[in-house]
Amino acid sequence: MTAAPPSNHPKIIDNDTELIQAINSGQIEKFPELVRRYEQKLYNFGRRMCGDAADAEDLVQDTFLNVFRYLKDFRHETKFKNWLYRVAASTCIKKRRRSKFAPERELSLEEFVPGGEPGSVAQVPDWAQIPLEKLLNEELVQTLNQAILSLPEPYRLVVVLRDMEGFSTEETAQIMNISGANVKVRLHRARLFLREKLKGYFAHDV
Amino acid sequence: MTCDSPDHRHCLELFEKLSEYIDQELEPEARRDIEAHVAECLACFACLQTLKQTIALCQKAGDQPVPAAFSRKLHAMLQTTTKPPLP
Repeated sequence: MTAAPPSNHPKIIDNDTELIQAINSGQIEKFPELVRRYEQKLYNFGRRMCGDAADAEDLVQDTFLNVFRYLKDFRHETKFKNWLYRVAASTCIKKRRRSKFAPERELSLEEFVPGGEPGSVAQVPDWAQIPLEKLLNEELVQTLNQAILSLPEPYRLVVVLRDMEGFSTEETAQIMNISGANVKVRLHRARLFLREKLKGYFAHDV
Repeated sequence: MTCDSPDHRHCLELFEKLSEYIDQELEPEARRDIEAHVAECLACFACLQTLKQTIALCQKAGDQPVPAAFSRKLHAMLQTTTKPPLP
C-alpha cells in the first residue's frame, strides 16, 4: 500500500484503468463507481475470511478507505482487482491480529494422509460422484463456510483466493506476497483439510 | 495411504501433488505418472475424486448479495470522506 519505487514493469490495462485514471486526475466523484464494481466481491471475501457479517462490513469499509487513500500510489503493474485484494487481505490480517479468533497453526501433510489397514477396500464415495447441482444446498454451503472459517488464516486466505475468488497461483502469490511454491503447498493442505470436513459431513470413509 | 498393496511407495509421493495435478500445473511426465497410478490404485483415485469435488464445491458456493442497508451506509460514508475540499 505504500508507494513503490519506480520500476520498468509494463502497465496493465484492464476494465478499471480508465476509471482509476479519472479518479486520480481529480474526478473523485467517480470513486463510488469503483466501489459499486467491487463491493459485492469484497463483502463475500470478508464473509469468508471473517465469518461474521459485521466484521465483513468493517473489512469492506476499511478496505475502500485504504483504497481511496492509496489509489494514487497504484502503478497499474497488476490488474486493479489484484491490488484491491492485496489491500483487503492486508486489512483483514491486521484486523485478525487484533482479534483472538484465529487459531494459528501449521497444517502438516501427514495429518491428511488417509489411514487404513493394508488391504482395506477403498471406493469412491457417493458424494464425489453426484453432480454438483444436485449436491449443493444451503446446509452444505454452511458446512463448507464453517470448515473454511476453521482453517488457520494463511491457509484460509489461500483457498479463498484460489478456489472461491478465482485468482491464479501467481496472482495469489502476488496478493499474499509469498512465493508460488508456498501458495501451492498451503492450497493443497487447505483443500485436504476441507475434504476431511466434507467427508465428515457426508459420513463416508475414503 | 490406503492402497491395497501396503508397500506402494508411489501413493505418498503422488498424494502431495494431487492439487497441482487438478490445477494442471504439473509437467507432462508427472501428470502421466499420476494418471497411470490412479488407473491402478483405487484409494488414490477415490482421493483424487473427492479432492476434485471439494474444489468444485468451493468454486460453486456462490456469492451473497450485499445487504442493502450496509451498501447505503458504505456509500454515504464514502461520499462524506471523499468529498473534495471547498475552494
